[in-house]
Amino acid sequence: MNASKVPNIVSIVALVVSATMASVAHSQVVDTSEWACNFCPFESGQRSDFSVGVSTVSDSSAYFGDATGYSEEGAYANVDGSGSYTNDGHRLNWQIEDLGLDSRYAELSGALQGTFGYNVAFRQIPQHRFFTTESIFRQSVANSLSLPAGWVRAPDTSGFTELNTSLARTNIESDRTMLEVGGRYMPSSRFRFSVNYRRHERDGLDIYGGSYFTQSSLLPGTFDYVTDVVDFGIRYSGNNGSVSLRYYMSDFDNSDARLEWENPFTSSPGAETAALARPPDNSFQQLSLSGRYRFTQYHAVAAFSAALGRMEQDESFLPYTTNANLTVSQLPRSSLDAQIDTINLATTLTAKLFDGARIKLAYRYNERDNRTAQDIWTRVIADSFVSGESETNIPYSFERSTLNLSGHYDLFDTVRVSGGYDRKTIDRDFQEVAEQTEDSGWGSLRWRPYKALQVNFKAGASERDIDRYNEAFAATLGQNPLMRKYNLAYRYRRFGELTIAAALGEAPISLTINALYADDDYTQSQLGITAADDLRVTADMSWALSDNSSVYVSGGYENMESEQFGSELFAFPDWRASNNDRFYTAGTGFNVRQIGGKFDLRMDYTRSDGTSEIDVASAAGGLSRFPNLESTLDYLRVRLSYHRSNRLEFLINLRYQRFKATDWALAGVEAGTIPVVLTLGADPYDDEILIFGLGVRYRMGVPATAQSE
Amino acid sequence: MGQRSISRIIAALLLGSVILSVTKAQAPGSPEPEVSYSKKGADTCLTCHGVPAVHAIFRTKHAVPSDPHSPFGLGQLQCEACHGPGGAHASRVRRGQERPPVIKFGSDEETPVRSQNAMCLGCHDADISFGWHGGSHDNGDVACADCHNIHAPRDAVLQISTQPEVCFDCHQLQRSETLKAFSHPFFEDKMACAECHSPHGESTTSQFVRQTLNDTCFECHAEKRGPYLWEHAPVSEDCGLCHAPHGSNHPGMLTSRAPLLCQSCHSQSGHPSIAQDADGLSTGVPSQYLLGQSCLNCHEQVHGSNHPSGSKLMR
Repeated sequence: MNASKVPNIVSIVALVVSATMASVAHSQVVDTSEWACNFCPFESGQRSDFSVGVSTVSDSSAYFGDATGYSEEGAYANVDGSGSYTNDGHRLNWQIEDLGLDSRYAELSGALQGTFGYNVAFRQIPQHRFFTTESIFRQSVANSLSLPAGWVRAPDTSGFTELNTSLARTNIESDRTMLEVGGRYMPSSRFRFSVNYRRHERDGLDIYGGSYFTQSSLLPGTFDYVTDVVDFGIRYSGNNGSVSLRYYMSDFDNSDARLEWENPFTSSPGAETAALARPPDNSFQQLSLSGRYRFTQYHAVAAFSAALGRMEQDESFLPYTTNANLTVSQLPRSSLDAQIDTINLATTLTAKLFDGARIKLAYRYNERDNRTAQDIWTRVIADSFVSGESETNIPYSFERSTLNLSGHYDLFDTVRVSGGYDRKTIDRDFQEVAEQTEDSGWGSLRWRPYKALQVNFKAGASERDIDRYNEAFAATLGQNPLMRKYNLAYRYRRFGELTIAAALGEAPISLTINALYADDDYTQSQLGITAADDLRVTADMSWALSDNSSVYVSGGYENMESEQFGSELFAFPDWRASNNDRFYTAGTGFNVRQIGGKFDLRMDYTRSDGTSEIDVASAAGGLSRFPNLESTLDYLRVRLSYHRSNRLEFLINLRYQRFKATDWALAGVEAGTIPVVLTLGADPYDDEILIFGLGVRYRMGVPATAQSE
Repeated sequence: MGQRSISRIIAALLLGSVILSVTKAQAPGSPEPEVSYSKKGADTCLTCHGVPAVHAIFRTKHAVPSDPHSPFGLGQLQCEACHGPGGAHASRVRRGQERPPVIKFGSDEETPVRSQNAMCLGCHDADISFGWHGGSHDNGDVACADCHNIHAPRDAVLQISTQPEVCFDCHQLQRSETLKAFSHPFFEDKMACAECHSPHGESTTSQFVRQTLNDTCFECHAEKRGPYLWEHAPVSEDCGLCHAPHGSNHPGMLTSRAPLLCQSCHSQSGHPSIAQDADGLSTGVPSQYLLGQSCLNCHEQVHGSNHPSGSKLMR
C-alpha cells in the first residue's frame, strides 16, 4: 500500500466513524445553553425580487406557442417575481412566473412552522395544435356544428362545389388551468392532518372524427372539462414507524353530453345529422391505509399499503341514432350505472442482513373489478342503417400481481453485486388470454475503484408466458386466429444497461455515459408484432472552469425498431411492415458569472433530429417505402444580465427556435384531398421564431451590503 | 474463470451470508461513546463559514428558531444537527495534522451516502412516504443532497420550472426523450417530474404518485377514465401500451403511427387487415386509412365510447 494513501484512508475512516457517532451522538444530551446563535442572520421582514420586461415575437407559431404562451407575433409584457415575509415563526412565500402570458403561474404559501401551513397556487398552460387548419363548419349553438348556407352535398369531396369559399380559419387550441388550495395542521409532533383541493379546467377546440360509415368529416369540436380533486390525509408518527389514512376523490364533469354535426356528404334520408357521445361525467373515490415500521434488528423496515377504490359513471345515454327514419328497439336501460371497484395492495420488507448486504422482498397486487352490468344492444351503423346484429358490452376486469425479490452485497469496498427476480401474473376477463405470467431475472455489478469513477452494468432477461391464446374467443371478435396482440403474446426480452460516471483528473470535469438496450422476441406470433428492439445512448460532460463559469456538452441517440405482420387474405401472413424510429439530440452551453464583476452571460443550444422510417412489403404490392417522417428542432437561448447594484439588474434575453417536420399524413392533404374524408387541411409544422426581450429586475428587502445569490 | 469456480464462489457467498446472518447480533448494553460538540454551536461554525452560501440557510425552513423541531429551534443542535458533532473539527489542529472532518453532503463526498441520508431521515423519516427504503433511489445510493439544496432559499428541485433539470442530471435517457417532437411540456418548464413520479419512493410501479399508471394519467386526463359502455381493452389496462409519456416522434405521443399501431392488434377481415402502402399518400390515391387522422378519421372514440351504437368506437 502506498504510504501517501494512508492519510486519505484515515480521513475516510474518520468520516465514517463520525457519521456513525453522529447517529449515536444524537442520543447523548448536549449542553446548548451557550449556543446563543449571535452570528446567525435569521430572516425577518420581507424580501422580494421582481422582474418586468417586454418581449417581441417575430412570428405566430402553434408549435412554439404550445405551453409557452408565445403563440402570436407581437409584443408581450411580462412579470416574474418571488418573495418572502417572515416574522417570529410565521413565513409567507410567494412566486409568480410569466404573469403576462397565457402560461402564467402564481403561488402563495405560508406557515406557522411546526404548527400549520397552507398554499394556494394557480397554473395555466395553453395548448396550441394547429394554426393552419380550416373548416366549413359553423357553430351557432353549443356543440352543434352546422354547414354553411348554400352548401351542396356530394358523395365525395370532389363534388363539394362550395368547399373553397366555405373554408374559414379555425385554430385548434385550448387552455388548461389548475387551481390548488391546500393546508396541513400538526397539533403535535406525532399527528399531521392535510387536505388538498385541486381544480383542473380544460376548454377549447380539438379535432374529432365524425364518421358516416364510408365517409367522414374531421370536426373542430369545442370541449369544456372540469375535474375536481380532493385529497385528505391523517398521519400518525410513532418512534419506529408511522401510519397514514388517506381519502382521495376525483370528480370529472363534462358540460357537453354530445357533439352534433351536419353531414356534408350525400347521405341516406334521415342521416343528415349525427351525434357523438362526449366523455361522460365520472367519479373516482379511494380510501387508503399505509404504514411503515422500523425494526431494530437487521435494520429492517416493513411497509404496507392498501387502497380500495370505486369508479362510477351514470350519464344518461344518447339514443341509438339521430335518424328518425330508422326503427330501433328500446335501449335496455337509460344509463350505464357503471361501477368499477379497485383494490391495490403493496407490502415491502427491506433488511440489512449484515454489513454490506441488503435484501428486499416486495409484493404488489392491483385489481380492476368491472361490475358494470352487461346488456344486449342493437347497434345503428353511422346513423345510416340498423346493423341487425346484437352486441353485448364487455366489462373488462383484471388482476395483476408482482412478487419481487432483490438484494445487493458489497463484495469489496469498490465492488457491489446485485440481483433480483420478479414474477408478474395477470389474470384477465373477456380477453384472448386469461392467465399470463412473466418471470424476470437481472444482475448488476457496480465498480467504483475510486471516488472519481463509477461503472454500473446491469443485464437481465424476462419471459412472458401465457396459458393459452383463446383463438375461439378471438374469432368472436372477428380476429384472424393467427393474430397475437403484443400485450397478450408470448415474449422473450433481453436487456442491458451501462452507466459510466467519471470525474476527470484534478479538473472539475464530470462525464456521464448511459446506454440501454432491450430486445423483444415474440416467437409464437405469426401476425402482429414479432420483434422489437430499442437502443439508447446518452453522453454528458460538464466542466466547471472556475467558481463563476461552467460549460457543458451533451448528446443522445435512440434507435427503435419493430417488425409486424398482417394478412390481407385472412389466412397466413402475406404482408410485413417495419418501423424504425431514430432520434439524435445534441446540446451545449456555458454560464459565466461576474464578468468584470457586473455581467452574467448564459448560452444554451439544443438540436434534436427525429426520423421515422416505415416500409411495407406485401405479396400484392411488393416493397413500399414511405417518405421519412422527419422532425428537426434548433433552439438557442442567450441571457445577459448586468448587475447595476445588489438590488438592480438589467436583463437581455434572446431566444431562437426553429422546428420543421415532414409528415406524409398531413403534407399535401387539403380539406378535399381525400375523397371520402373532409379534413381540416392542417400543414406539417414549419416554424421559425425569434424572441427578443428586455427586462429589469429589482430586489427589495436586501441589505445594501449583501452579495447576490 | 470457469463455471465451476463461479459456482463455488456463489455457494461460498451464500453459505457465508447464512452463517453471518444467523450469528450476527447486536452487542447488548454497550456503552455509547461520547463525542464532542462545538462550544458555541452555529456561532463557532460561522466564525469560519460565514459566507453567503452558508448564510442562505437562514432564509429557509431549516432555520426557524420558534419551531422546536427546526435545527435552529430552542435546544436543537443547529449546524451540527445535520453536519454531526463539530467539536473536533473546530478545535485547534496541530501543524501538519489534517482537520477532522464533519459530515458533508453529496454523493461525491467522503461521507457514505447512507450516513448522510440517515441525518436527514432522523427528522424527515415520516415525511418521505413509505417507499424510500429499498426503492430505486435508496438502492442506487442517491444522497438527499444530490437533489436537494438545503442552504438555498429556493430549492430548485421543489420548483416546477427547474425540477426536471435536477432529475435529468442522472436521468439523461429521459431528458433525451423529452426533446422529441411530441412530449409533455418539460422543455417549456411547465411540468415537473414529481407530478407523475414520487422521487422518494412508492410501493407502485415506476414510483407513480398514484396506485397505477392509469390512475396517474387520470389525474390530468380524467375524461379518459370512464367507465365506458364500450371499452377499448388496452386503454382500461395500461395507457403505456400505446403512448410514450416522456416523448415520441409521433403525434399524441404514440409509440408508433396509425394504422400500423392499430394493425399490431387488429386483424379483422376488411380494411383493418389491408396493408396500407405509400400509394395511398396525397401524391398517389389519397387513402382515408393513412392520411389525416388515419384510423381515427372514423374510429374517433379510441379511448372508449358511451354511445349505445358505439361498439366500433365510431360514435
